[in-house]
Amino acid sequence: MSDTTATDGSRARRTDSSRCGMERPPSIVLEGVTRHYPGRVTALAGIDLTVDAGSFVAITGPSGCGKSTLLHLIAGIDEPTSGTVVVGGIDLAQLHDAGSYRRDEVGLVFQLHQLLPRLSARANVELPMFGTGRSARARKVRADELLALVDLAGREERLPVQLSGGERQRVAIARALANDPGLLLADEPTGSLDSEATDNVMRLFRNVQQSGTTIVMVTHERDVAELADRVIHMRDGRVVDGPH
Amino acid sequence: MTFLGLIARNIWSKKARSVGLTAAVAFAVMTVVTLAVTSRGLESSAAQIISVGKADFTVVQKGVSDTLSSTIDEQEMARIRATPGVASAVGVLVATEKINAANPVFIEIGISPSQLAAFGVTIVRGHAYAPDATNQVMLGWRAAANLGLNVGDRFKANGAVNTVTGIYSTGNPFGDAAAMFPLPAVQAYNRVPGIVTLAFVKVVPGVSPATVSSRIDHDMPELTTIRTASQFGRADRNLVYLQAAVNGSTVLAVLIGAVIVGNTMLLSLFERTREFGLLRAVGWTRRRTAGLLMGESLLLGVGGAAIGVGLSFVVTAVLERLPALRGILHAEYSANAFWRALLTALAMILIGSVYPIVRATLLSPLQALSHE
Ligand SMILES: Nc1ncnc2c1ncn2[C@@H]1O[C@H](COP(=O)(O)OP(=O)(O)OP(=O)(O)O)[C@@H](O)[C@H]1O
Ligand SMILES: [Mg+2]
Repeated sequence: MSDTTATDGSRARRTDSSRCGMERPPSIVLEGVTRHYPGRVTALAGIDLTVDAGSFVAITGPSGCGKSTLLHLIAGIDEPTSGTVVVGGIDLAQLHDAGSYRRDEVGLVFQLHQLLPRLSARANVELPMFGTGRSARARKVRADELLALVDLAGREERLPVQLSGGERQRVAIARALANDPGLLLADEPTGSLDSEATDNVMRLFRNVQQSGTTIVMVTHERDVAELADRVIHMRDGRVVDGPH
Repeated sequence: MTFLGLIARNIWSKKARSVGLTAAVAFAVMTVVTLAVTSRGLESSAAQIISVGKADFTVVQKGVSDTLSSTIDEQEMARIRATPGVASAVGVLVATEKINAANPVFIEIGISPSQLAAFGVTIVRGHAYAPDATNQVMLGWRAAANLGLNVGDRFKANGAVNTVTGIYSTGNPFGDAAAMFPLPAVQAYNRVPGIVTLAFVKVVPGVSPATVSSRIDHDMPELTTIRTASQFGRADRNLVYLQAAVNGSTVLAVLIGAVIVGNTMLLSLFERTREFGLLRAVGWTRRRTAGLLMGESLLLGVGGAAIGVGLSFVVTAVLERLPALRGILHAEYSANAFWRALLTALAMILIGSVYPIVRATLLSPLQALSHE
């Protein structure tokens, strides 16, 4: 996993704007963002936050303070109750098809991995590549390359149940990188990893950032958070400090 | 992995759904195809009865509920014969009679012995009856076999104890299960002197049968002409009803099938909510997600159609051998039957999947992902 030249080698050259006209890498601007759930649950109580294009930020905070919710809003799989989320200059609420935004711009590592249980590790990594114009052969080559990058070479055919928690987490990371996202959103990506695997993943993220990707990572591990350019603290649905 | 590979993988791993959907389609297709091929068989059997032999066309009374209740009198026969282009017209009276419990509607055909050969009746044993005999009969080979009679035996029917003079074959299941008598004998017993059921017409060589038959249609509006089996419905309303019943049952089978397909897919959708949530979350568009589901159900539908056609072969083979239907029901497979099968399957799949697919594509990815 220490050798990351493979991703860089296969990566298409970054251009200034992407397919849907978004800046690459994108900046993220949240203004007055709230997210309420039925039953008077306030997950986000009013977030104003700017993440610079191409930066690597970590979000920390106690359990239930709204970190995952924030990530989901930026990923376009959830919508704010009020406020705006602007990614790469584009207001996500104006997107005609959030599906292609997620496919072309976002790599999302879920807190709970979210692998499809009946598909092999390789097929799981291939999923985001459907609809990108890549041939089946190219998808397979790319998936195997990404799995090798997270030290899972030789385990491509395994089903998620045949993998350890840390291995599943790394499959989820490989899947998030499948389409060379301009924006990598990772929710506790090192939660099930030992310190060596954590180091490797952090080195991989650094490489991904350098090749032109904005990264937002949620973590509760202080030493992991400190590897980022900037750490944002959250509490009770608000950003409590962290100058930009 | 290819998109098709993914579809195949899903079909394989969701076995209960796949089996349920295939079975629903197979059952509906079996019903539809069996109805179509057997009713077609009935139609052409019935049509052959009235177009036995080598006539250019047949004339019957128009609009009767049952072809056998058609009546044509001597004046009408004379007008048919006088129609330009008609070379000959032969009247045949068809009646039915209860012979015994096993033969409640035995068919009796009154026809002049001189016309037998011309209308495709082959005498396989014995000889024909005399033209004016009152107690002679010929049996179709199926009738003879069913009744256990042979040449020289006695057969009580048509108001007399008749001597069997011969056994004939027409090649038509209805004709071969009937008996033939001299025309006057059948007319006398049924008290319809001079009346016939059908007239078989031959046209003058070189004249088009179509021209002559439309002339008769035009000149004698109370009669109708039948040139092909498919025109049979012009005379026999029973066949019109039969066709309507078949069409109605087809629509019903498709609708019931579609409900089962829809229900099966909805249940499976519930199970797969997380999967669709994930696909949408990693960037699958609505269209691609719908395409996956549609691909799965179409593939299962085509498989179900193939199984349904196979089942229908089995069912018709069994039906044809049932004692009650033997000789009456026979299946006629045509390319049309296979198109019907495919259309039935597609209609079921499309009707049944619309709602589940719309539901699947409208799922909010995040809610779907947290679905238990
Ligand atoms: N679907 C939901 N319905 C109702 N409340 C929800 C829902 N999802 C999250 N919440 C609530 O919103 C708040 C924020 O949740 P969120 O998952 O963003 O927290 P988090 O910071 O990621 O916590 P953790 O560190 O434990 O993952 C919590 O109080 C949670 O209970
Ligand atoms: Mg969380």
